[in-house]
Amino acid sequence: MNYLILLPILIPVIGALIIFLIPNKLLQAKEGAKRPYIKIHSLFAVWMLLSAAASVYVLVSGIASKPVEFFTLLDNIPVMLCADKLGIIFAWVSTIAFVCAGAFSFRYMKGEKNYYGFFLMTYGVLQGLDFAGNLVTMYLFFEMVTLMSFPLVMQTKTKESIMAALKYIFYSLAGAYMGLFAIYFLYQNTITLTFTPGGCLDMEKVQTHPTLIFVAVMAAIIGFGVKAGMFPMHAWLPTAHPVAPAPASGVLSGVIVKAGVLALIRVIYYIVGPDFLRGTWVQTVWIILALITVFMGSLLAYREKVLKKRLAYSTVSQISYILLGLAVFEPTALTGSLLHVVFHAFIKTALFLCAGAFIHETGKERVDELTGIGKKMPITTMCFTVASLGLIGIPPTGGFISKWYLATGALSADIGAFGYLIPAILLASALLTAGYLLPITIKGFFPGADFDYTNNPKKEASAWMWMPILILTALSFIGGVFPDLFADFILWIQALVF
Amino acid sequence: MISNVWIAVLVFYPMVGALISYLVGKKSKTARNMVANFITISEFALTVYVVISQYASVIPMVGEEVISSGRGALAVGTYMNAELTIPEVCGLGIHFVLDGFRSVYALVVAFMWMMVTLLCPEYFRKYRNRNRFYAFLLMTLGATMGVFLSADFYTTFIFFEIMSFTSYVWVAHEEKKEAMRAAETYLGISVIGGMVMLMGIFMLWNSLGTLTFSEIGIAVKVLQGYGGRLTGEMIAAGICILFGFAVKAGAFPVHIWLPKAHPVAPAPASALLSGVLTKTGIFGIIAVTLQLFQNTEWFGYMLMVIAVLTMLIGALLALFSIDLKRVLACSSLSQIGFILTGLATVAISGGENILAARGTFIYMVNHSLLKLVLFMAAGVIYMNTHKLNLNEIRGFGRKKPLLHIAFLLGVLGISGIPFFNGYVGKTLIHEGILEVSNIPGYVEVLFLLAGGCTLAYMLKLYICIFIEKNNNAEKQAEFDGKKKYMNFGSGFAIMGSAAMIPFIGVVPNIIADKIMDLGQSFFGVGILDHGVHYFAFHNMKGSLVSIAIGAILYYALVRVCLTEKDKEGQLVYADYWPKWMDLENMIYRPVFIRFIPFICGVICRVLDSLVDFFVVLLRKTVYRDSALPHELTEGNPITHVAALIADKVIWVLNKTFFKKKPIRKSFEHIFAVRWEEQAENNQIIGRSLSYGLILFCLGLVLTIIYLMWVILK
Repeated sequence: MNYLILLPILIPVIGALIIFLIPNKLLQAKEGAKRPYIKIHSLFAVWMLLSAAASVYVLVSGIASKPVEFFTLLDNIPVMLCADKLGIIFAWVSTIAFVCAGAFSFRYMKGEKNYYGFFLMTYGVLQGLDFAGNLVTMYLFFEMVTLMSFPLVMQTKTKESIMAALKYIFYSLAGAYMGLFAIYFLYQNTITLTFTPGGCLDMEKVQTHPTLIFVAVMAAIIGFGVKAGMFPMHAWLPTAHPVAPAPASGVLSGVIVKAGVLALIRVIYYIVGPDFLRGTWVQTVWIILALITVFMGSLLAYREKVLKKRLAYSTVSQISYILLGLAVFEPTALTGSLLHVVFHAFIKTALFLCAGAFIHETGKERVDELTGIGKKMPITTMCFTVASLGLIGIPPTGGFISKWYLATGALSADIGAFGYLIPAILLASALLTAGYLLPITIKGFFPGADFDYTNNPKKEASAWMWMPILILTALSFIGGVFPDLFADFILWIQALVF
Repeated sequence: MISNVWIAVLVFYPMVGALISYLVGKKSKTARNMVANFITISEFALTVYVVISQYASVIPMVGEEVISSGRGALAVGTYMNAELTIPEVCGLGIHFVLDGFRSVYALVVAFMWMMVTLLCPEYFRKYRNRNRFYAFLLMTLGATMGVFLSADFYTTFIFFEIMSFTSYVWVAHEEKKEAMRAAETYLGISVIGGMVMLMGIFMLWNSLGTLTFSEIGIAVKVLQGYGGRLTGEMIAAGICILFGFAVKAGAFPVHIWLPKAHPVAPAPASALLSGVLTKTGIFGIIAVTLQLFQNTEWFGYMLMVIAVLTMLIGALLALFSIDLKRVLACSSLSQIGFILTGLATVAISGGENILAARGTFIYMVNHSLLKLVLFMAAGVIYMNTHKLNLNEIRGFGRKKPLLHIAFLLGVLGISGIPFFNGYVGKTLIHEGILEVSNIPGYVEVLFLLAGGCTLAYMLKLYICIFIEKNNNAEKQAEFDGKKKYMNFGSGFAIMGSAAMIPFIGVVPNIIADKIMDLGQSFFGVGILDHGVHYFAFHNMKGSLVSIAIGAILYYALVRVCLTEKDKEGQLVYADYWPKWMDLENMIYRPVFIRFIPFICGVICRVLDSLVDFFVVLLRKTVYRDSALPHELTEGNPITHVAALIADKVIWVLNKTFFKKKPIRKSFEHIFAVRWEEQAENNQIIGRSLSYGLILFCLGLVLTIIYLMWVILK
């Protein structure tokens, strides 16, 4: 029965293949006929629900909490899936975000076959990444996520989007190869490549050449950090995310960048082990890179005028919050990171969907054009506001809780002056976040006394659009008020890893 | 301590009420007004009930109280603290406590909100977005309750941030240019304050492991008991938290938002901003000062400097201003300075000075009530005239006895005239300053001077609005003709609040002393063992000196220096405060909005394009890529750069010298063509030269051959 863990991966992939194989003839209405034989939306909706149901079944039933081996690639490298608690967190997050973004797509996308196909495909392989049981399986799915999400970026087929997609794929592949380099060396020096909480380095072998392992781990950090948009290899992110259609940007920024985070957690906490790296130059460099990213992302977002681009820069900054939490090797900070994975996924997807709704209803992309948007689309803008507050980290939203754990964790970790620098930079970044998100809300709800109300009637987006946004926003808020909901998972991981 | 679920109801009921009132307001405006009134009135009733029920539950376990309240002061006898913990909500859990201080402030908050909501329906008759205002009014009520009832900094911070954001909506409500700008400043500085405070809370949590007020006090006491001193981390934490609360309180030098935000908000909101929201800041400052920095003398002196500066700057700004609400706002600034002076006195005395502690507390309560009355009166004036400039509303108050009485009571109270409430607090703080020998003598002088200024600027308002006649006789006639200037609800709100002023002031030994008894446990001072004779001459001396200074200032400064004669020889009030002397426009905005982001922006842009730069470099060198997307269409890099420079120069010239006849051309093409022509010319010249050179060589060769031939021959 444990083979059922394949369902959440295979169902979306099969669905995608079916969508690709349907002849275009069937999708277009014949002359005289009201509707086509098959409505692509309906087909997609059915498969999306089916896939999500499969995921939820696996997540809830707890089957396959022990690794399931399928076949071996080489003599002792099996392909292995396992739904452990860490994977379950990521799988829940991606399922919720994909379902919401998928529902949003109905009205936003006009029945593009490729879009729906690759959307499902990405969802499937992402589940595979979440459930990967050893390093090599993870690497396989990691590359597949890149390849499957690449067409989502160049969906519009403009020159800009194609160039952006190419940039995305080159950066990602460069990063993945650095990761692969690390995997070679780790394979030589570990007892097993199966994920083992707390690490599984073969200390006898490592003793002879620790520097080599450090270099390999650093390569892994920078390499997998590409996907997480970590400085210095972050430049693809603000280019690629904004050009995708809004729901795709939503999942790219909210969930797919988390693939890099998951890979880093797996490598550092499940293969190398935090104890081995604590206090080494690898940790110092990692913290510095993440700190630079946090500040740089926020500041560039602050100075950016195109809304989606601004949100993309914000992602650069926010993901490095998570990386900072991972880099200090401290249980509280790790809790903060995992909470931020969850909250940032909901918030950022919601924000991108809001930006999409604005574009869909008004065609306006620039921040300064959005004056009075709150009068026009009150529900969407209200959600945008609450999500913004969450991203800034204003209590009682989710962002505050994760920031609390991140900062107190960093303070209590034994990392010298960084202990103070990290909270300070986090708060400076939060200030900048307020600076780049709140003016949109303010201009939206307070357009000024001379605003022309008669020529700007209320015109809310359709319920297919605002419902997903509302759900995501509500989740980020409720999660902040009752963070206890996640306590079970997080305590479990902490107990195992440290 | 006993647990009391009603505390949570006090905090969350108005928040739920906000939602209800918003939904009702979508259907009917009158129903919404009634719902809002009902919510605030029932909130007040509920607060009274909860506080009284605390009196009823007498359990004489003084010993336990001694431990739990840090300094063993809650032996008032009949009052019992209640607490409530909601675990695991928002991470660390929310923790409320209801002690004497908090009971009084919960009552004040509920009372003020009730009165203000009664004024709202009439005030907002002609406003847009009323529904939004009501929702955020009620939301802020809950948040403010939360701040005052919080037992630890974590809870305080949560509600403090909610309060900052919801009260933003009040300031921005009118959406005029200056309102938006003031609101922007308010929000910006609130967010900065909140972040700095959070940093402090992180560090405090890290160094002490607790955020509960009373536990911090005990921890510090234990530390000092073993001869230890505060660590650097604790001090930094305390300063950060102080900063965060000082922003909300409006203490110098982060007071800049206050004189701008309070006047532009609608009057009901101004009353609450000035009366209550500033006190949340004071509440936090008290907690930091008397728990974390107990027995830390240098902190007391630092606070004293801040306090005296705030007190004087506020008074000075108020004297100069000629806008009714701005005067009141600056007055709030000054009064906050008075309160902080009292607190600093307690701190310098090492937490020993009972009089100053009691004075600080009653001063807070008094100032809340006074500003409620004064701002509501200002609101009534504004809703009738839609003007706030003193020259325009001059004479409005004549022949309006109710408004007149209310405003006069406010003036008498805030100036510290004996038999009105303000006097009690002022006298006690004054006595406290005299008692503590470490405080330099000039603090008392400045204190009395600032008290005099208070009287002077309040007299200026009072005489202008209620005694003098308007310069424009028609306008005066119009003012005099206004008999229905407020409806029953507004009148009740104003008169009901004003009635409290003599109520507290005339019999201070009965009412004011009771209030202070309740409050002093929070200050951690001992119990006052002797009654204070408020109206004995030696206690009234300071007040009388202040009054004398005030009278002199009014006649010598306000009437003479701060007025001018207009064309018809009539007296008008003039604003002589130099416009450029504004910390916000002079320093804060340029530095924080222009300078720092620009510098950091350049650095970050470089970091951002680092890898891209190398990629492009490699493509151009190793890979020998074809033209990049942004390759020049004509000309070459040299002409491009030259054209850029020339364009910029022309742009500057157009802005300066050729404003009338701007030059409109782009040099990109011109330079490219020039370069091309030049290149052709060069080629022609080069070719000609080389042709010439060849001929020359040919000639040379022929000459040499000829010479050789000649020589050989």
